[in-house]
Amino acid sequence: MRIHAAQRKANPLLRRFWDAAADHPPTSWRDVPPVPATAFKDVAICSGPAEAVFRTSGTSMGTGRRGEHHVASLDLYRAAARGHYRAALFEGIESALLVSLVPAPHEAPDSSLGAMAGFVAGEPEVSRTVWAFDAARGVRMGAFRDAVADATQPVVLLATAFALVHLLDALGAPGLGLPEGSRIMETGGFKGKVAHVDRADLYERVANRLGVPQAFVVNEYGMTELLSQAYDGIAGRAPPIEARVHRFPPWVRMQALDPVSLEPLPPGEQGLLAIFDLANAGSACHVLTQDMGLLGKDGAVRLRGRASGAEARGCSLAAESFVRASGARRR
Amino acid sequence: MTPSQEVRIEGWSWPPGLPAPVALEETRAGAAAIRHPRARAGMAEALLEALREGRRALAAVPVREIAVALGGAAAEMVRTLGEGVAPVAANADLSPAMARAALIPMAESWTPSALAGLVREEFPVPEALDGFVPSGSRRIRASGHPFALHLGSGSVPGVTVTSLIRALLVKSAVLVKPGAGDVALTVRFAKHARVAHPALASAFAVQYWPGGHRDWDAWERTMFREAGQVVVYGDDGAIESVRARTPASTSLVEHPHRVGVAIVDPVEAPDSAAAAAKAVAFFEQRGCVSAQLFFLVASPAVAARWCDELAGALEALARALPPAEPTAGKASATHQTRGRLALKAAAGEPVRVWSSKDVGWTVALAQVADFAPIGGRTAWVVPASEPQACLAGLGALPGVLQTVGVAGLRPDDAFAEALFDLGATRIVPLERMPFPNAEWLHDGKRPLGELVRWAEAWRRDADAACLGSPSD
Repeated sequence: MRIHAAQRKANPLLRRFWDAAADHPPTSWRDVPPVPATAFKDVAICSGPAEAVFRTSGTSMGTGRRGEHHVASLDLYRAAARGHYRAALFEGIESALLVSLVPAPHEAPDSSLGAMAGFVAGEPEVSRTVWAFDAARGVRMGAFRDAVADATQPVVLLATAFALVHLLDALGAPGLGLPEGSRIMETGGFKGKVAHVDRADLYERVANRLGVPQAFVVNEYGMTELLSQAYDGIAGRAPPIEARVHRFPPWVRMQALDPVSLEPLPPGEQGLLAIFDLANAGSACHVLTQDMGLLGKDGAVRLRGRASGAEARGCSLAAESFVRASGARRR
Repeated sequence: MTPSQEVRIEGWSWPPGLPAPVALEETRAGAAAIRHPRARAGMAEALLEALREGRRALAAVPVREIAVALGGAAAEMVRTLGEGVAPVAANADLSPAMARAALIPMAESWTPSALAGLVREEFPVPEALDGFVPSGSRRIRASGHPFALHLGSGSVPGVTVTSLIRALLVKSAVLVKPGAGDVALTVRFAKHARVAHPALASAFAVQYWPGGHRDWDAWERTMFREAGQVVVYGDDGAIESVRARTPASTSLVEHPHRVGVAIVDPVEAPDSAAAAAKAVAFFEQRGCVSAQLFFLVASPAVAARWCDELAGALEALARALPPAEPTAGKASATHQTRGRLALKAAAGEPVRVWSSKDVGWTVALAQVADFAPIGGRTAWVVPASEPQACLAGLGALPGVLQTVGVAGLRPDDAFAEALFDLGATRIVPLERMPFPNAEWLHDGKRPLGELVRWAEAWRRDADAACLGSPSD
């Protein structure tokens, strides 16, 4: 609540928004009206000067408008991301080759995911980094093959699910086996890019074509609008997919809300996720996502994907057609 | 969100004489479970053979007789709908009251006289659909393709029935795949159509299947290969997918998603808010004829008062024609929209929001750049200083404009011309927005004309007449 108070003081926009949305001052983080994730497209939400601006990939009605997260401190972002990705990806590794199918920070300076990949590249265990993704052309297969062909140390592969599918398609059978101990962090969905690919199918293909067992593949749940991320396991001992739940670091709180009333739901009931991330100190901590999930009593969340309802349409144009790849697909 | 009541819907209707499906399976679509045959080898070929046989019978029947039979089937369906509206509503994710209110006016375009009028409008000599008829120095003939594949989408009940009726009017044998929310009504109509005329009985099939699923790959490849024409309704993704699979020699008719807007002078049309509420609420804004965006030729203050009235009318309609239980996606989209508009207001932008206590309806007084259609009774209202300013605002919707409703203005030819240039295909009074006349164009295309191929043949008697009187 101290950070909320600081944001109220520093950001008159949020103060007016909160005052209009609630009858009385909040007494708990749960009572702070969450800022909708899509609002990051419309207004600059800064509770202080920004060191970086990260942008989502969505555009709006041809205006080129994309969600913007004004980040007060890259050090804070790094600190928020680092502990969790280290735990998820580097357990048992002394030296690794990092292959990134996420654009390098210098190629995509407004990509929060690219910035995080840059943090990973700076880890002491990473002896060499190969950036094998071109924002314009996709996966650079030559660079990928060259990098892993002679690799003797474990590979840490960072990829969006979209890029991973394309890598697997391009590799074909029998694929290209990665050294023992290699692990993969995949993130994001497939919406608007390729046909829906079931995650179990994807991981099976990863095992068949890259030789990386499912226990070494972890999913990261993150979005441009949040500086903290959740992972569904620790590479090397991640549970079977059906048993996986995502966990944020301890400074993040979540609520599952009734989609209609936005009233909090008890643990175990599926609802819209509202996430309170202290790492968002420079913008807005409490964000209303468009994702569904079930919370466990231990703070874990079982993600259920984007709240759906698109089937209830006819020939009327949907916002998605205006807002290509709308929402918070992370860049 | 857990549906309060799960509905199971029969998702197919085959021509008589075909063996019963070996096995059925269910596909979930919204709150409904659609039961349909499981894909199996040889099923597509058997259905096509039955449809070819049926088409031979259909081709021999005069088009006037077909129109009477189809109109009779539709009338019988509506007459006996009664409690049957419940599964139609549940399948379409509409309240029963809304389903009934939407279907009854829609059925007016399915009456025998409306269908006969449509045929006359499109074919000055309707008998050209029955055989070659004289036309000047030639004889002309029109016919639908021997086998057509119609792919519906979405959940506006009646769209697939209309598509099916049109295919049969031009004597195509047709396989229709209803939109996931339009299955119940289509199958219900099919049952009435099969008994309305012997020649209709075997000329069509209704079948829902999970499009793009690998189990249906062989079925889809066969149908795309055999169809002389494919008609597809849907969003960009659906249309691009169908384009990629349709052979180059096959006629492809596309009905992409579009948006309906209205231009209102509230001073000249003091009762327009009530009509606007209906234009918003009918079909829950799922139709391209639904009003999503209103340009108000008024000052911001007058526009705000009109929004007050619109909000009141929407609240009243929510009681008379309640929306169905919202999906999680719809509720989420509404909260995101309301929240982001609230933040814009907090930022000092000229934005105001009126809304129901639940997610039933929303009125947003905003700028055209804010417009992001989410459906579900969300009205975007943009003040404009004059009609010409509305035209400038419509320029922000390149390539997606369909219906324009008008109230309080008398659009002269120049104004209509300007709307046409912006892509509008239908300009009507505000209160006529939701229900197009049967004989009017469909997305700017001829409803039957786009389904037929034409032929012309030398007319021997004209030739003889011409040769016989060289001095004429």
